[in-house]
Amino acid sequence: MKNTIKVERARKNWTQEDLAREIGISRQSVNSIETGKFVPSTVLALKMSKVFGVNVELIFQLDEQDW
Amino acid sequence: MEQSKKMASRNSIIFALLYGVTYLPAVWLLKYRVFGQPISIIIALVPVITFSIFIFKLIKAFSVMDEVKQRVQLEAVIIGFSLTAMLIMILFLLSLMDISNAGWFGYANLLCFCWLFYFIGWFISKRKYGV
Repeated sequence: MKNTIKVERARKNWTQEDLAREIGISRQSVNSIETGKFVPSTVLALKMSKVFGVNVELIFQLDEQDW
Repeated sequence: MEQSKKMASRNSIIFALLYGVTYLPAVWLLKYRVFGQPISIIIALVPVITFSIFIFKLIKAFSVMDEVKQRVQLEAVIIGFSLTAMLIMILFLLSLMDISNAGWFGYANLLCFCWLFYFIGWFISKRKYGV
């Protein structure tokens, strides 16, 4: 699973800390998700899509190896 | 919300320390038989009570953690439990052949190994998820 969290953060000029505060998780957890070490739940993915104001499919995309 | 998370985490640490504070003196008092049997039984129950409260607080802290930290804890517990079960199984099999060393693998040591394995699991999982 790849994601564009870093891009979306940059667009909003947010640090990981800012995003973490917006969606109610820790900064380390944001880093873990952003670097692809952890795949978030649907609820968390939808929260991210809401705070970034974009569709969830734009933030998270399936990799070829996910098939 | 963030405040309640911190509070739950702090509570679990406080009760972990309280458990340690009651456990170690209880071990000392029971080992050197300072009191008679009825009082010794009560002394043996005190760490059980503080441990129960600690576990209750730990579960409460677990429920308010974010999902990455919950995964880390879950994997730590799985690794800790599996290694402890494996150690007990090996000790049982060795005891069938009368090979055992109570000095290294008595009940008290098994408790320490259990916590050690949990912290090994925690370390592994924290590194895996980078938290």
